[in-house]
Amino acid sequence: MHPLQRRFYRNLILTTVLAAVIVAVHRWAEASLFRADVYSGIALLGGVWFLALIHLRKKLSTLPLGNVSTWMQVHLCVGWLSILGFGLHVGWKLPNGWLEGTVAILFLLTAGSGVLGLYLTRTIPKQLARVGEEIIYERIPFFRRSLLEDARRVLLEAAAITDSPVLANFYAAKLQPFLAQPRPWTYRVNPSNRRRRFLLAEFESLSRYLSEQEQKLCERLFAIVRKKDDLDYHEALQSKLRLWLFVHIGLTYPLLLLGTLHGILALAFLGGM
Amino acid sequence: MALAAHFIDRPQRWDVPFGEQMTDEDVERLFEIEPFCQMDQGRFPSAIPLHGILRNDTRIVRFAPGDIIVREGDYGSSAFLILSGQVRVALESLSARLLGRPNKPRGTWWRAITQLLRTSQAIEQRKQIARTEQQPVGGVARRADANQPRVFLQDVPRVLAATETACLGPGEIFGEVAALTRSPRGSTVFAESEVELLEIRWQGLRDLMRRDDALKSHIHELYRQNSLQDHLRETPLFAHVPAENLAHLTDAARFETYGNFEWTPTLQQSLAEHPSQRIAAEPVIAEEGTAADSLLLIRSGFARLSRRHGDGHQTIAYLGKGQTYGWQELVHNFASDRPMPLDCSLRALGYVDIIRLPADLVRLLVLPFVADQELEQTLQQAKARLAARDETEEKHTSEAALKSVSLLEFLVERRFINGTQAMLIDLDRCTRCDDCVRACAATHDNNPRFIRHGPKHGRFMLANACMHCVDPVCMIGCPTGAIARDEQTGVVSINDQTCIGCTTCANACPYHNIRMVELRDERGLLLLDRQTELPVMQATKCDLCTDNLGGPACQRACPHDALIRIDVSNVDTLSQWVNR
Repeated sequence: MHPLQRRFYRNLILTTVLAAVIVAVHRWAEASLFRADVYSGIALLGGVWFLALIHLRKKLSTLPLGNVSTWMQVHLCVGWLSILGFGLHVGWKLPNGWLEGTVAILFLLTAGSGVLGLYLTRTIPKQLARVGEEIIYERIPFFRRSLLEDARRVLLEAAAITDSPVLANFYAAKLQPFLAQPRPWTYRVNPSNRRRRFLLAEFESLSRYLSEQEQKLCERLFAIVRKKDDLDYHEALQSKLRLWLFVHIGLTYPLLLLGTLHGILALAFLGGM
Repeated sequence: MALAAHFIDRPQRWDVPFGEQMTDEDVERLFEIEPFCQMDQGRFPSAIPLHGILRNDTRIVRFAPGDIIVREGDYGSSAFLILSGQVRVALESLSARLLGRPNKPRGTWWRAITQLLRTSQAIEQRKQIARTEQQPVGGVARRADANQPRVFLQDVPRVLAATETACLGPGEIFGEVAALTRSPRGSTVFAESEVELLEIRWQGLRDLMRRDDALKSHIHELYRQNSLQDHLRETPLFAHVPAENLAHLTDAARFETYGNFEWTPTLQQSLAEHPSQRIAAEPVIAEEGTAADSLLLIRSGFARLSRRHGDGHQTIAYLGKGQTYGWQELVHNFASDRPMPLDCSLRALGYVDIIRLPADLVRLLVLPFVADQELEQTLQQAKARLAARDETEEKHTSEAALKSVSLLEFLVERRFINGTQAMLIDLDRCTRCDDCVRACAATHDNNPRFIRHGPKHGRFMLANACMHCVDPVCMIGCPTGAIARDEQTGVVSINDQTCIGCTTCANACPYHNIRMVELRDERGLLLLDRQTELPVMQATKCDLCTDNLGGPACQRACPHDALIRIDVSNVDTLSQWVNR
């Protein structure tokens, strides 16, 4: 078994055992007429604060606080357990108080974004790796401009060898909008090569009106289209990877704030235990 | 921001000489002794006069009896000429305790915390570039501080009694192999009496050799002899061979060099060629199908093992320093009537130094001292290869370990096998979050010392980060010795205080892993050269976070185990990670 697989199964078993222990302890606490909701709440709040520490660890890169990958494995384990802990704490139903309800929704959104993030971080890298070139996200606008310039140069070459407006018209009508603009949000949600295939079909149908020299230029234009399509694909997928993390971390702060407030209020108005 | 600037003098070679104690009198004294008295000063250009080299690239150092001058395993960038006294070269390894290897001062928590609290956003700030007082004498300058702590052997007679040593006296040179080949010191050398040595940093030694043929041939002869003896002694195959047999082997061994020592300028050009042209251009050391008439030992550099495959050649493995070729064939041929020819071709990658030992001598002097079990095992392996050759393509070590011929070809063609700390990224796991880049920037003056981009093969990418190469060609040509290997860790790093921003190292690095950056002062203002009014640049590169606690920040920052600093020259560690 490969080391990463071994680690996965080890962590899965560990998380399952801990989950069983948590459920058993919770049931025992309830059966013993302890305030199980209080203890589960304290443990849950502690768990959420611990989960947030990974972000701090990333900021403290100069300190020897262990590898972030180890933190991530613990984060995943505690994350799954905290979802279980949340279910036990709220009795598997949404609370009706406005503060409790808000905290519960924030928790569910944060946990949901975390689970989504886990899925995305395990699937998108493989999709990106299959695209020929590796592209740095921040440099995508530069590459886009550069491709547009390349296409314009090809057009100027075409203008120098022919008076025919076919290629120029095709560029103005179909290619320029594709090359100059980012793709719509629908593409970002579900990127596909439909547009590339459409443009390829257009190129093929156009070739009957072009001279041999123009056809060669046309091939260069299509190579540019392919690059632009790859660029858009990278942008769409890398945007997803960035967006989920932005949402996940963005939700964490209000969750910590309101969750702590909820904990303080709950303890303050608890009465005799 | 661009208009606000601070003018300084552009740093020059010899701004920070090798040692401060060298005087004109010392230089005059050197002119009276060999080899300098024989040198033709007219062969030295006016920009780099012999006087200037002796004044700036050498220093006179004195050692008391028992002082260790060089230690085995240390990386050194200078050679020594004995002016007076005697030194001993230990022909056996001395213990680390005896050698007094100090623990390298590591980073502290306090330093790590203060690093975090720095709020400046400007990149690559320099408090001050150290300049020594100038005393122009024939275009040369005064020396910087040369005081060095000495490590000494407490009981020299006991060490001499327990260790085999060789004695060197006035006029003899040592340490030139490590200085010229960018390799660790092969032996420990210590002072037997009061000794006075002329220490020549390799930049100066290189210039002296270039202009004086006698010195060049003398150094080459020493290099050849010392390399042979050291290498035979270090090769596991000869572990149990008696010293007298080794001496016979040394006498009979042929020392051969293939390829070009300055291989980097042609690397990019060769990558543009078709693979068949590339491999055809590589000098053949041993041809597939020819008789195995000698045992080949690789002394330095890399060689490619390839086998004919269709119309081309398929890479089977790469061999580096200390590895041998032809052993299985020789053992088989000694034991069998059916001779086994060489199974693969051995070709030089860049340059390679080979020691060729005749088969007859190996049979007489080595074979009787190899364990029977090992011989039997080698024989069985050879027979299996011979049997498999006609039927199927058997897998050789590297190819089988990596489970990918194309990955092996990729690593060999682009010479990534040179890297001992290459940054390998698994793109199937990398989420492109750039946490590695941010962590690097946070530990290096807001300037990430690598780019998360680079040559890609399948799901693996070799990022543009310094690989701390086995053969660090970036060190060739640095006029001040600012780029150097750490003596204990082997990490190649750049000294901010002595880098003059000449771009030699950045241009020499065939992997484009050294970047020139503009310097700023503590207020964030650009530092400009007073004469040219252009920004003062310095070379920057990955230093593997040697000053930090915990190791390379990039690797520690990766949340998905997608990034590793790895020794590509070691196929076992590489295959473990690639096939994880």
